[in-house]
This record gives sequence, C-alpha cells and structure tokens, in this order.
Amino acid sequence: MSGCPYFAKRDIRHQQKDEEERDDSQDGTNKASKGGIIYGDYLQLDKVVTAQVLQSELKGNKIHDEHLFIVTHQAYELWFKQILWELDSVREIFISGHVRDERNMLKVNTRIHRIVMIFRLLVDQFNVLETMTALDFFDFREYLTPASGFQSLQFRLLENKIGVPDNLRVPYNRRHYRDNFRGQDSELLFESEQEPSLIQLVEQWLARTPGLEENGFNFWGKLEVNITKALKMEKEKLERKPESEDKDEHMAEFHKQRDVLTSLFDEKRHDHLVSKGERRLSYKALKGALMIYFYREEPRFQVPFQLLTSLMDIDTLMTKWRYNHV
Amino acid sequence: MSGCPFLAKKHQLFTSKHLTDEDDDAQKGINRASKGGIVYGDYLELNKVLDAQVLQSELKGNKIHDEHLFIITHQAYELWFKQILWELDSVRELFINDGMRDERNMLKVVSRIHRITMIFRLLVDQFAVLETMTAMDFYDFREYLTPASGFQSLQFRLLENKIGVVDSLRVPYNRRHYRDNFQGLDSKAILKSEQEPTLLKLVEQWLERTPGLETDGFDFWGKFEANVDQALKCEKQKIEKMPESETKQEMLEDLSKQTELFTSLFDSKRHEHLLSKGDRRLSFKALQGALMINFYREEPRFQVPFQLLTSLMEIDTLMTKWRYNHVCMVHRMIGSKAGTGGSSGYHYLRSTVSDRYKVFVDLFNLATYLVPRSWIPKLNPNIHKFLYTAECYDSSYSSSSSCSSCSSEDSE
Repeated sequence: MSGCPYFAKRDIRHQQKDEEERDDSQDGTNKASKGGIIYGDYLQLDKVVTAQVLQSELKGNKIHDEHLFIVTHQAYELWFKQILWELDSVREIFISGHVRDERNMLKVNTRIHRIVMIFRLLVDQFNVLETMTALDFFDFREYLTPASGFQSLQFRLLENKIGVPDNLRVPYNRRHYRDNFRGQDSELLFESEQEPSLIQLVEQWLARTPGLEENGFNFWGKLEVNITKALKMEKEKLERKPESEDKDEHMAEFHKQRDVLTSLFDEKRHDHLVSKGERRLSYKALKGALMIYFYREEPRFQVPFQLLTSLMDIDTLMTKWRYNHV
Repeated sequence: MSGCPFLAKKHQLFTSKHLTDEDDDAQKGINRASKGGIVYGDYLELNKVLDAQVLQSELKGNKIHDEHLFIITHQAYELWFKQILWELDSVRELFINDGMRDERNMLKVVSRIHRITMIFRLLVDQFAVLETMTAMDFYDFREYLTPASGFQSLQFRLLENKIGVVDSLRVPYNRRHYRDNFQGLDSKAILKSEQEPTLLKLVEQWLERTPGLETDGFDFWGKFEANVDQALKCEKQKIEKMPESETKQEMLEDLSKQTELFTSLFDSKRHEHLLSKGDRRLSFKALQGALMINFYREEPRFQVPFQLLTSLMEIDTLMTKWRYNHVCMVHRMIGSKAGTGGSSGYHYLRSTVSDRYKVFVDLFNLATYLVPRSWIPKLNPNIHKFLYTAECYDSSYSSSSSCSSCSSEDSE
C-alpha cells in the first residue's frame, strides 16, 4: 500500500469533498458536456428496476419472499426474449436462403450454441428460487391467482418456433393452450405455429446435404449395398461356427441388429412413424443427418455436425428445464 | 397415447378452434373481469421489462445483432442486484432492530445470506453466456456505447457499500472519487449507503456479544491464552529433551514461529495497529467471538451462527470470482484498451481482485490460528448453560422487545 501513487494524494481528495457537495448543482452540466448515453439510461433501468410490485404488499400483507418470485420470473422472461432474438435471426438466415452460402454456417452455429448456453443458465436458475421454502411460498401464493406460467407468451413462442408440434402437446383443462391468450398475443402465437419452425428449416437444409444425390455420390444407395453385404458376411461367419449356447445367443443378437438396420432402409415404415409423431424429420433429411454424422471430420461437415449436436443440446436442456420446474 | 382421455375428443378440440378465436376477441374484457385477479404478464410488468431493449447501434442506423445480448445480460445482472439488495437490506434491518438478540431470527438471517450466495453463484456463471460474443462482434457496436460504463451502476455500488467495502480501500481511477459518477438522488443514495450500518459493522457488533466471552463469565479468551501458553511451553520442553540434530533445530525454529504467531494474536495493540492500516476489519472483541464460534461450532447455540460466518466468507469468495470473471472477459473483449468509463479498463479491474475488497477477510484469516482440539478450553454443559438456547428473559436481553414482538417478522 505504501507504493500506491494515489495514496499520497488521498488527503487532497478529501479536501475536495466539500466541493463535491456543490457539484449537485452541476447536475445537468456534467452529462451534457460528456454527450452520449449513460449506463442507467442505456439499459432503461428506470423501467426494469421499478417493475417489482408485490401483490402481497398491495393487499396489505407484504411477504418478503414474493420479491424473489417476481425477480426470478422476470429474469426468465428477459432470457426468453434473448433466445427468441437469436432463434428468429437463425430462422431468417434459413428462410432467406442465405444459409446456402456456407460462410453463414459459423454464425448459425454460434447463435444456436448461444441458445444452449442460455438454457444452461436457466436450468441453474432454479437453484436460486429453490431457496424459497414451500412454507414461505404458501404465505403469498393466494395473492397470485389467476396468474400462471401458462400465460407466458414468450415461452409458447419459443416452443413453437423451435418446433414443438401442436398436436403432440398435452392438453389441460380441455382447452387449447392458445386459449390462454387474447388479441395480439393470440395472433402472434398463431403466426408462430404457421411460420417455418427451426425443425422444418433444418429438415429442408438436411435434405440438401451434399452427397445424397442419387446421380452423384449416392450415399444412401452405397450405404444400403455395404450394409447388406456386411450383414451377409457376418451371418456366414457366424453360421460356420460350431454349435454352442454362445452361438445361439450371437445369432439372436445378429438377427436383432439386422432387423434394425434393414428397417432403416424401409421408407414406408419411416413415413408411418412420422404420421404417428414418433419421427419428425423427413426421410431425406434423416439421410442427410446420418451422412453428416458419418463424415463429420470432413471440413465441409465439421460445423454442420456441431450444429446437429447443439440442436440436441437444446432438447436436452429444455427437458431438464421442464423437469426442474416439475 | 392411446390411453389419453383427451385424445378421443381431439376432433372436438380442433373443430371448435375457429369459433372460440372469433368470439374470444370480443370477450376480451369480460373474461378477465369475470376471473378477477391479475394475469402473468401484468403481474410481472412485462410491458415494461420486455420493452426496455433499445439497441444504440440500431438507433445510429447500423444494427449490430450481438448488442441485444449485451443489453439483456446487463439487465439480468441489475435485476439480480436488486434482489440481493432486497435480501441484504432485510438482514441489516433484522440486526439493526435488536442486534439479533432474539436468536429465533438467526434462521431467517442465515437463509437470506445463503440465498445471496446462490444468486452470486448464478451471476458468476452468467459470464459464460456473454462470452459467446466474440471480441470482433463487440468491437462492431462498442463505439455506440460511450460514455456508458459499469462505473455508473448504482446498484453495484450500493451492494458493495452495504456489505462493507471500505471507501478508503477502493482503488481510485481517473483520480476521481467513485461517487463522482453519480448525480442527485443517486449520489445521495450512495452517500447514505456509506454512512448507514453495513453488514460488516452489524456482524461485528453481534460477534462482540458472543456468549462465553464475558471476562467475569466463561472468559474464553483468558482461558484460551492460558492454554496456548502452556501448550507451547510443553512443546518446547519436549523438543529440548531430544538429542541434538538437524530435525531438532528445525522443530525449534517452527515452534518459535508458531509462538510468535500466537503472541501476536493475543496482542491487542498490534490488532489496533492493523485495524488502522485496514489489514484487519473487525474489532478485537469481534475476532474473539468469531474464533469462539469456530471452535465451538457444534454446540447447539453456535451451529447456525457458524453457518452464518461460513456464508459471509462465501459472499466474499463469490464476489472475488465475479470480479475475476469480469476481468478475464473484459481482457478478451478489449485487450488493453481503455474502458468506456475512462479507466484503464482491464488494468483497473484486475487491481480490484484483491483483499482490499474482501469485506470479511478476518474470518478467512482465522484459519491461521487453528489449534489442536486439546488446546481449546473445555466446556461443561452442566456449568456452561449458555451453550444451548438463550433464555429469553435473562438479563442480557432488553426485556421490553422480547419474544412476543419477535414473532412479527414483517418489520422489514
């Protein structure tokens, strides 16, 4: 501390303190002379930091923990907005066709990964609200009715724009989820169901994966031939082995594997599963995805592979989010 | 899916879709009125919160995508700062009301301080989200931000002050007082936060009253000093009886160092000197109380107080980690360039990651004085009744504001 150059001047600063009191009158001058915006105005903190009104207080029975409840939900909604910002920008890149310029892949991937990072934070955020006990929540819960997370517009928009299908939603109260909203909100929600979702856009992109062209590399055709041949050889190898319990087990396993792989090439079966909602991507898109997996180390497929991984991360994290919520 | 009771009615659900949509718009007012009460969006004032994101780059005609993330991240930080201040002020209030004499309030205090640490943990992790922005992307909109700067974050300063960061220990920058960044009401609020009792001050006063310190009572300090004295003497005699060797010399030297250390511990004048230098922050008596709580943490009456001391150190640790994460990120974003607030940016921030800003540094340093269990003065629960809960009506409590008023906890 003795070497600190400002230390010596400490007394001077304290002498100046009296002058500071006169500074209040210079309120306007300082800001104008600097020009430009200051922190609090830039972030519109006058709006953000005054938006916490406790219902329990309004009703004359202020409960301390309600503040945490409010701030937590507001933080969630701020981040939902950010996710929508990133999501819409990515969808736009696909919709506008700019995704065909593969230089845009870095941007797409970065933004989807950013969504993943935000979801990670949102999953961790439950730990903070969990410092509130059930007893403390009980003390103010009555003042909240009928407000409910079902009315979170941004959450629904998020689900729809990623690609949660309406007909797979679990209904509740025998009402459509959109019934919780009116007017502009309801329209926005409807739009988000109609416009291309992330999964639809990714599906179209996957279907265009280079190497699928039948009159080109014909990945799928070659794969089917290879698998059929390899399975045949496996079978012959196994059959040549002497009879034993092991052999029977191996044969059973082999048949299972063969059935799984054979079903892969059964397009009718795929379409059936899609109609049931058990598969979501088109057959062609699935081929593209498998191609990217197998050839992920090829320079052209490296970033696309990262994108597919990040898309799965989003699903994983949303599931964790839902589970934590429960 | 086949077992789902609603699935059978799926057609009904969807055919009625069109009807309800048209009718509902007209029923807008009726539905809410008939329900009564508040809806989610209004409860959370989302019309304010979600309408507060204005990109400077867009205003200036050059919209940069990543600026939105920058804004949201800082707004989230400020929301959580508000929450921390809410918890902090409520805890300070509890201490100010009755000095924490009603020990039933300890659970609340510890829960809220712990909640503050949980929030800080989140805030430390939050950097990872902003770090998805590259330095190049930041560069594209940084020019539109001047002169806005984190130095102007009112809540951050209030937070520092109310916990107990000492003004004279702050690292100056631009040769200006940190309060100069604020005007009018904000400046007044900051001045107030410097003058009102800080968490550090309130905890100090509480520690000074730790049961067992009374010199005419258990006299922990007196007993402890005597025990340490004797134990060190014994150690010395034991070592001196050993045959001459290099090991013996080393052991004697170690013992000598240890003796010096403990002599300094019991030296109240030395403590006052370190206090005036800012190397120590708690009073001598408060330090004794903290050491007592540490040694006897398993006694029922000290269990929750011990948790409190642990959480207070956790706050310091997490704030240091926050500052460090901030430094690393800033370094990556602007290298060695100056900050928008005019400071040296990275260099200034790096200097704040130091013990100067550690409020409860004394609690950390208590680990210096740990001793073998056998040196700690023995307690006899039959004689030393203070180990269990306090008797509400004994003479050490102000009898007027005792148990009945304690239960009205909403004095915050």
